[in-house]
Amino acid sequence: MDQSVAIQETLAEGESCTIAVECVSLLNDVRDSKLIGLVRQNKEHALFIYSHRRMAITGEDVTLGQIIPISYDFSVVEVSSPDELAVVGADTRVRVTFLEEELELKLPFGSHTRLFLSEVNRAWSDVCQQYPKEEPKFDWLTKYRKVSKGARSLRKSIGATTVKMSQMKKAERAHTANSSALKKEDESARGDALQSQEKVKGEVKDDLIRNSQPVLSNKAQMLGMPQFGLRDNLIKCELLKNEDAYTYIENYSFFLGTYNVNGQTPKESLSPWLASTASPPDFYLIGFQELDLSKEAFLFNDTPKEPEWMLAVYKGLHPDAKYALVKLVRLVGIMLLFYVKAEHAPHISEVEAETVGTGVMGRMGNKGAVSIRFQFHNSDICVVNSHLAAHTEEFERRNQDFKDICRRIQFRQEDPTLPPLTILKHNIVLWLGDLNYRISDLEVDHVKDLISKKDFETLHTYDQLKRQMDEEVVFVGFTEGEIDFQPTYKYDTGSDQWDTSEKCRVPAWCDRILWRGKSIKQLHYQSHMTLKTSDHKPVSSLLEIGIKVVNEESYKRTFEEIVRQIDRLENDCIPSVSLSEREFHFQDVKFMQHQARTVTVHNDGQVPCQFEFIQKLDEPAYCKPWLTANPAKGFLAQGASVDIDLEVFVNRHTAPELNAGLQQLEDILVLHLERGKDYFISITGSYLPSCFGSSLSALCLLREPIQDMPLESIRELSVKSNSPVIDSADKPQEIPKEIWMMVDHLFRYAKKQEDLFQQPGLRSEFEEIRDCLDTGCLDTLPGSNHSVAEALLLFLDALPEPVIPFSFYQQCLDCCSDSSHCRQIISMLPQCHKNVFNYLTAFLQELLRHSAYNRLDVNVVAPIFAGLLLRSPDKQDINEKRKVKEFFQHFLVQTSSDRDIHEKSPE
Amino acid sequence: MAKQYDVLFRLLLLGDSGVGKTCLLCRFTDNEFHPSHISTIGVDFKMKTLEIDGIKVRIQIWDTAGQERYQTITKQYYRRAQGIFLVYDITSERSFQHIMKWASDVDEYAPEKVQKILVGNKSDEQEKRQVATEQGDKLAKAYGMDFFETSAFTNHNITESFTRLAELVLQANKKDLDLLGGSLNDELNLADLEEQEGLCNVSDDTRKSCWC
Repeated sequence: MDQSVAIQETLAEGESCTIAVECVSLLNDVRDSKLIGLVRQNKEHALFIYSHRRMAITGEDVTLGQIIPISYDFSVVEVSSPDELAVVGADTRVRVTFLEEELELKLPFGSHTRLFLSEVNRAWSDVCQQYPKEEPKFDWLTKYRKVSKGARSLRKSIGATTVKMSQMKKAERAHTANSSALKKEDESARGDALQSQEKVKGEVKDDLIRNSQPVLSNKAQMLGMPQFGLRDNLIKCELLKNEDAYTYIENYSFFLGTYNVNGQTPKESLSPWLASTASPPDFYLIGFQELDLSKEAFLFNDTPKEPEWMLAVYKGLHPDAKYALVKLVRLVGIMLLFYVKAEHAPHISEVEAETVGTGVMGRMGNKGAVSIRFQFHNSDICVVNSHLAAHTEEFERRNQDFKDICRRIQFRQEDPTLPPLTILKHNIVLWLGDLNYRISDLEVDHVKDLISKKDFETLHTYDQLKRQMDEEVVFVGFTEGEIDFQPTYKYDTGSDQWDTSEKCRVPAWCDRILWRGKSIKQLHYQSHMTLKTSDHKPVSSLLEIGIKVVNEESYKRTFEEIVRQIDRLENDCIPSVSLSEREFHFQDVKFMQHQARTVTVHNDGQVPCQFEFIQKLDEPAYCKPWLTANPAKGFLAQGASVDIDLEVFVNRHTAPELNAGLQQLEDILVLHLERGKDYFISITGSYLPSCFGSSLSALCLLREPIQDMPLESIRELSVKSNSPVIDSADKPQEIPKEIWMMVDHLFRYAKKQEDLFQQPGLRSEFEEIRDCLDTGCLDTLPGSNHSVAEALLLFLDALPEPVIPFSFYQQCLDCCSDSSHCRQIISMLPQCHKNVFNYLTAFLQELLRHSAYNRLDVNVVAPIFAGLLLRSPDKQDINEKRKVKEFFQHFLVQTSSDRDIHEKSPE
Repeated sequence: MAKQYDVLFRLLLLGDSGVGKTCLLCRFTDNEFHPSHISTIGVDFKMKTLEIDGIKVRIQIWDTAGQERYQTITKQYYRRAQGIFLVYDITSERSFQHIMKWASDVDEYAPEKVQKILVGNKSDEQEKRQVATEQGDKLAKAYGMDFFETSAFTNHNITESFTRLAELVLQANKKDLDLLGGSLNDELNLADLEEQEGLCNVSDDTRKSCWC
C-alpha cells in the first residue's frame, strides 16, 4: 500500500504528495524509522519527513518532523557509490544535504525506492535548470513552521538566503570600489580640465588592460546528476528472474492439523490424529482454537492449558522421527505450534510470528488469527491458524474477518528498512482453523440424512465456505481438497453423537484446511472421529509441498554470471568521451599575442557526464598561467559535444622566465570526467623571445636583436648579467638599445604630439613595434606616436625587475619628501638601471618643455611613469602610490646637474 | 548465506607504452582482445567482481598512459592503489629494462603496503621473444614479487595474475578487515580506510577534484 495517502491527509489544499517511502534515519548511530514524502505545490517541491506508526493508513498515523525544501542547495547523493562494494540486496543509502544540514537515510531495496529517488532527482533538476534566473520561494511551507521541528531548518534557509543576498551586494560594492579606484587614478593623472574626455579614455584603457589579463569565464550550467546505485537491485532482480536456473524442487511432507478443543484439557492421546500418517511428516503445523474459554485467558492472555496441550501434542507426534519445536504462538485461545524434523532445522530461517484479534469490537482475541512465517531453503511459507466469527447467519462477518486478518497481519522483516510482509506475499500460504462456515438452506434432518448416506458431495454444495469461494468473495486463490469426511461440529462432548442439546445445531464443516501456492499436492484430508475430548473433531491434511532448494554449484554459476553482466553494464556506464585532438602545438608564440585552438569533446559514452580540467599535484591551477581552457568545466548530455578553446597568451608575468629559458611552453591538461576517465591533452609551443619581459642587464649585453641571437646565447647572457664580474670583451651598453629606439623615435617625432602617453595605441601596431624591436628588421619603428608611446610603457611594465629594483622600493617611499635623499638613492642603483632612469627622466623633462603642444605637465607624467619605474613587489595601496608619485616628481624638475645629462642626449 | 566482508581494491597497471596494459584489462574484464589498439592517453578504469576465500572483492582496475611524457602525471595515481601490476613485453628488451625504473617510482610514490606482481605479456609471440622467462622470474624474485607470463591474445594467465594480485592485496589488508569486521558489520571500502589512515600525501579536503 502506498503510504502517500497518509501524508496527503496532513497537507493543505493545492499540495500533493507525489510519492512516499519508508526509510531509516541514521543519526549518530541511532536508527529511527521515518516516512518521507515528496510533496509538490505548483512547481516547487519539498521533502516532508514524518515519524509514523507501524503502517501509516491515515493522517493520524504520521507526525510531521522535518521539512527539506528542494532548492538549488539541495542534494541527494548515494553514500555507497556503484564503484564501491555493496551487498546483494542491500539498501540504498543516500545523504540528503541542504545548506549546512545533512541527513543520512537508508531506503529499502526495491523499485519503489528507485521511483522515489528519480522523482526527487527530477524535481531538483528542474530547480537547477531554472537557476539562477528563477529560484523557488517556498512560501507555502511557512504554515508548517509552527508545527514542524524543521522550523529551525527553514529559519536557517531564510538566513542563508539573506547571507547570500548580502554577499552579492558586497561583491557589487567591491566591484564598484574597484571601478572607482581606477577612475580616481585616471582622473588624478589627467587633471580636472580634461575630466569628461578622460572618462572615455579611461574606459578604453580599461579594455586594453582587461585584454592583457585573460579572464576565466564559465557560463556552463553545472547540472550534476546524482547517481543512485542500481547494482544491488539488479543482482537481486536477476537472481529472482533466474531462480529456476539454480533451484530445484524437492518435496517435503507437511502435516497440518486443526482442533477446536472447546476449553477442555487433554484427556486422551493425540496419536490417532497426529501420528496417523504411514511415515513421519517433515513438518507439523498444529492449530488449536478455544484452548481456554476462561475470562482470565481473555483478559490476561494467560492460560495453564497452553503447556498441557503442547505436551499432549509433543507426545502425539509420529514416533519414527525426532522433532524440534521451532515456534509457538498464541492469542487467547488460538494457538499454533510449529515442529520440524530435526534434520531440517538448519535450513529454516527468518521465523516470525504475528497475531491479530477480530473478536469483540473487531479487535479482541476471542476470535482472530495467529500466524507463523518462515523461510525453508528458498521458499517463503506462511501458516495461519484462524478462528472466525460464529453462528450460521454470520458468514459475511467471517468473510470480513478473513480480509482483516490478511490486511492486519504483517511480519517484521529482518531488515527494518523493508516494509512489513503480509500473508499473501509468501510463496506458500497454509491456512487452517475453525473457520466456522456452516451448512445453510437445509433442515437438520435432511443434513443428517445426507451424512448417513455419506453423500458429502451433495452436502458440500450447501457449505457456506464453498459458496463464498465460488463467488470469489473469500479465500481467493486458495485451494481446498475434496471433503470425504462428515462434518466436524457439533458433537456431544465425549461422544460421537450429534449435538443433543435443545439447540440441536445443524452439523457443519467448521474446521478446514486450505492452501495457496505452487507445487502443492494433498495426500490426505480427514477428520479424526476417535478423539472425543471436544464438541469438534480434529481435522488433518497431509500436503506434499515442492520446496525450492538451492543447488550451490548452480547458484554460484548463476550469481557469477549475473555479477559479470552487471560488471559489464557498470563499465559501459562509466562516463567516456572522445577528443578531436590530443596534442596541440602553438607555433611562434609572441609576447602579448593570443593564439587559440579548439578541441571538441564528444560524449560518445552511454551516460551524461560532467567534465572538468583538474589540477595536477603540486600545481596551483589546472594549467600553466600562459594557458587557458574555456570552458574549463561543463556538462555533456549523451551524444552532445562541446568546443573547448585552448588559448595561449604570454604576458608580463610569464614572459621573463620564458625569455630566460627557465620555462618552456609545455603543459599537459587533465580532462577529468566525474566518476569516469581522465584524458591527457598535451600542449606544446615554441616561444619567440622578446625584449619585453627581459631584464635590463641582459638587454644591455645584447648587441643584436634578441630573436637574431641563439637561445643558448640569450640564456648565457641572462646568467652572466647577474654576475658582478663582466669581461671587457662583453662590455655592456649603457642602456638597452630597444629603449633607445623607442625614446629616440618619440624624441624625434612625438615631442609635440598632443595627449602623448594619454591615448592608447593600436594593438596591431604594438605587435609590429614589438617585432621590429625583437628582429631589427626595420630602421624606423612602425606605427603611430601613441602606439610607440604605449609600447614604451608596456616595456617598462614587463621588466622582471623594474628600473628601480624591488629592493630599493621601501627606501624610496621612506624618503620620498627629501629631494637630495631621493637622488642619492638613484646614484646607488645598478649601473644600467641608473642609466635608464636618468635617460628616461631627461627625456621626460624635454617633453615637459613642449607642454604647450603635447599638454603634458608634471601631474600627468609623474603618475604614469612613477608606477612603472618604481613598482611594489606587492600590491600598492593609495598611500604608497602617493609616495611613489612624490618621489618621482623630484626628477621631473630640472636641476643644474641634470642639464649636463640633457646635453648628452642623442639628437 | 553468512555475512561476508565486501571490499573495494584499486589495482594499477604500469609499464611502458605498448606492452599491452589495455589489452590485459580488456581481456580480464570483457574477455575481448583488440589487435590494433590506440595508445591510452590518460587514465581509464574498469570494474570487476571476484570472490576470494569467500569474500566478495570488487576491484577497480586503472589503466595508465605509459608514454614517458605522461609519467609525471600518472605518478599521482600510485598513491591510491593497493595493488600494482608492473608489465613488460617479452618481445621488448627495452620494456623489461624499464621495469627497474617503474619499480623505483612505485617505491617512491605508492603506499608502503602496496602489493606488486611482475607481468611479462605477449607470451604467445615466442618467435619474437627477447626476454627469457628465467630473466623475468629472476627479476621478480629480486623484487620479492610473484611473476606471470601472460598473453592477452590467447587469454593465458590473465585471470590467474589478476586474481593473484587481488589475493595479495586481501592478505595484506586482512588485519584491517578483521579489525573492522568486529565492530562494523557493514560494507567496507578499504581505499577509504587507507585514506583515513593518512596514507595519502594530499588530503581530499584540500583538492577541488578527486582523481578517482
